[in-house]
Amino acid sequence: MSSGKSFAVLGLFDTPDALMGAIPQVGAKKLGALEAYTPYPLHGIDDALERRRSPLGGMVLVMGILGAITAFGFEYWISAIDYPIVTGGKAPSSWEAFVPIMFEVTVLFATFTAGLGMLLLLNKLPFFGHPVLSSDAIKAITRDRFALAIESEGEGFDTEAAKAALLAAGATQIEVLPEPDRGPFLTSDYILRVAGGIFAACVVAGLAMYGAVKLFPVLPPMSHMEDQPRLNAQKADPFFKDGFGMRMPVAGTVARGYLPLGVASQDEAASLVNPLPSSPQVLAAGKKIFHNRCELCHGALGNGVPTLTAAYGAKPANLQAQQFRDYPDGKIFWVITMGKNAMPSHAADLTETQRWEVVHYVRALQRAQNATDEDVKEAGAR
Amino acid sequence: MSQQNRSTTNLLRGTLAIGAVGVVAAFLKAGPERFWANWLLWFVLLFTVGVGSLFIVALEHLVNAKWSVPIRRIPERIATLLIPVVPIGLLAIGALPVLFPGTRPEALHNKILAGKAFWLSLPFVSVRTVIVLALLILGLVVLVGGSLKQDQTKDPAFNIRARKFAPAFMAIFALAITLVAFDWISGLTPEWYSDIFGVYLFAGAFLGGLAATSLAVLHLKDQDRLEGVRKDHLYNLGGFLFAFTVFWSYIGFAQYMLMWYANLPDEVIYFQTRLTGGWHVVTVMLAFLHFVMPFFALVTRDAKGDGSRLRRVAYLMLAAHILDIYWLIFPILPGGPHFSWPEASFALLFLSGAILWVRGALQKGEDMPVGDPFLKEGLEFRL
Repeated sequence: MSSGKSFAVLGLFDTPDALMGAIPQVGAKKLGALEAYTPYPLHGIDDALERRRSPLGGMVLVMGILGAITAFGFEYWISAIDYPIVTGGKAPSSWEAFVPIMFEVTVLFATFTAGLGMLLLLNKLPFFGHPVLSSDAIKAITRDRFALAIESEGEGFDTEAAKAALLAAGATQIEVLPEPDRGPFLTSDYILRVAGGIFAACVVAGLAMYGAVKLFPVLPPMSHMEDQPRLNAQKADPFFKDGFGMRMPVAGTVARGYLPLGVASQDEAASLVNPLPSSPQVLAAGKKIFHNRCELCHGALGNGVPTLTAAYGAKPANLQAQQFRDYPDGKIFWVITMGKNAMPSHAADLTETQRWEVVHYVRALQRAQNATDEDVKEAGAR
Repeated sequence: MSQQNRSTTNLLRGTLAIGAVGVVAAFLKAGPERFWANWLLWFVLLFTVGVGSLFIVALEHLVNAKWSVPIRRIPERIATLLIPVVPIGLLAIGALPVLFPGTRPEALHNKILAGKAFWLSLPFVSVRTVIVLALLILGLVVLVGGSLKQDQTKDPAFNIRARKFAPAFMAIFALAITLVAFDWISGLTPEWYSDIFGVYLFAGAFLGGLAATSLAVLHLKDQDRLEGVRKDHLYNLGGFLFAFTVFWSYIGFAQYMLMWYANLPDEVIYFQTRLTGGWHVVTVMLAFLHFVMPFFALVTRDAKGDGSRLRRVAYLMLAAHILDIYWLIFPILPGGPHFSWPEASFALLFLSGAILWVRGALQKGEDMPVGDPFLKEGLEFRL
């Protein structure tokens, strides 16, 4: 006995019934907190020991609800407020899409609360070596004996009275457990050793990684991501006899949606007729494309005064000039399709329909910037 | 039978008669669609409660559960509802030409339905229904009839026979509930399909059976006819109810979310009708009554073993189950949710009839399976 004080008095009983019978007898004397140690769970012992209901269930419920609210809040903020993106035609704030994540986070919060709350808050870990584990009776308790402990609740604990009470209740064996030697847990020495250990582990792991990468570069089957066994656009490749990675289309075929124009020069293209009507929908679509692709060089009004003038050497065409106002639709279409001077072709980015939409919009821009009195009257009449 | 019981029986007979008059009037006045939709509602409802109770019995035999032996007689007696369900189901075949597009000759001109024409045709649906009902009656005879016989013989061989039969019954049960779900509910909108639909109806059926069982257990406990059935047994019933409210909503929501995401016209039309107009209110109500309320009513540990709480939740669950079936069937009638005298008459007739039937069944045999060798172990059950 280290301090002379005792942690608990342990009484051993031979049968579960004897233990259950002893609990009310000993409990009535109110010598200290009662605790039972049994090799297997006994039905009804919680009630007999008058254990208060564990608060864990309530904690789990609260944290579970909190998890659901957290997940909903996060998702709602990300999807509907901070960066709304329409996915699959659904409104950014669609709650249906949030439910699976809400469910997961609810379970996560609830299980972590149950596990950690039980271990850290209620079982008071880290707490190494419960005194009962070092008792002589522990072997019997884990095999076939049933122990009842009267635990000290402070200064006034009467070891002798506790012994007598247990014996009177029919205990076959008595053991007094000394107060465990429990020094302060977080000493500076302990913290230093833990921190030093973590630091050493980091150094070892870092050096090992460095050495491994340095000494053993990528060996098969590992490989760098840029080295992939496939054909790359615009790159040579030994797979084909001619050494080209890219292949020519089969003779006499055209790609889907790319019918040949049937004209060979811009002058010939003058004969092409815009197949689209000049409707508000077409103009709106053309405006959007013009805004995305043309405005940067030709300017919002198409007058060749763009935002890029200072940074860009070539002078973009002023579409409001008489020369371009006199262009037939087909010639503008040709330029968008084939490019001209420094202007690149937009054939790869815009479908034929989209290019014709832009033509309509350019026409509208030209008319708006050079409006006659009749145009103004017509607009007013609408 | 006490004076009070007799007057309750007379009252139920009275409401039964009023309901019967209303049902005949509905047949004559309310139009065939409405009449048969109501008929279908009560056919599916009584079927699910009966088959759900029989499932509880078979499940207990399957897993060799001991705790439930003292209360096993109650789901056994409620499962006898399957006997009146047979004529109700056979009469429901009258609904096929009225409500089911797959049985009409026009179906052959519909591209989707033409491929399923034989499966959806009136003779084949009827044959399937007869087979399903016959198989369930077989299950009823083996599991419930055998158990009632054991009261006299006290022969433990029944337990072994039931345990061997239970896995086969599970296959029968899965087939039966899936076919009823597909034929009698999904068949109303044959262009729409959902693989999980049978499981959805199963979740509702199990909850319906559990709720009916819980109510009957509490009813018999009030009359001191279940000596030894304690809080621990009630706790298990409450726990099952709690767990399966979550299962039901999980299946229901998963079915909805996948269709909502994919947004395919064939699929999403089903929820479109249920999420617009008056049906939207019913859908939200269903989610509350079938999931949110029972979930939070039973979430704490004390609530699951509390008889009065369990009784209220069981009533709620039965009401929600009726609403669930209503929500499945009635949107095929145009013009929003219908509730008027035809629905009320049907409810009076079938509810009174079902209660009368179950009250009669509750007098059959002993209140506990006294011949079961595990009865004592079941009574000693502690949590």
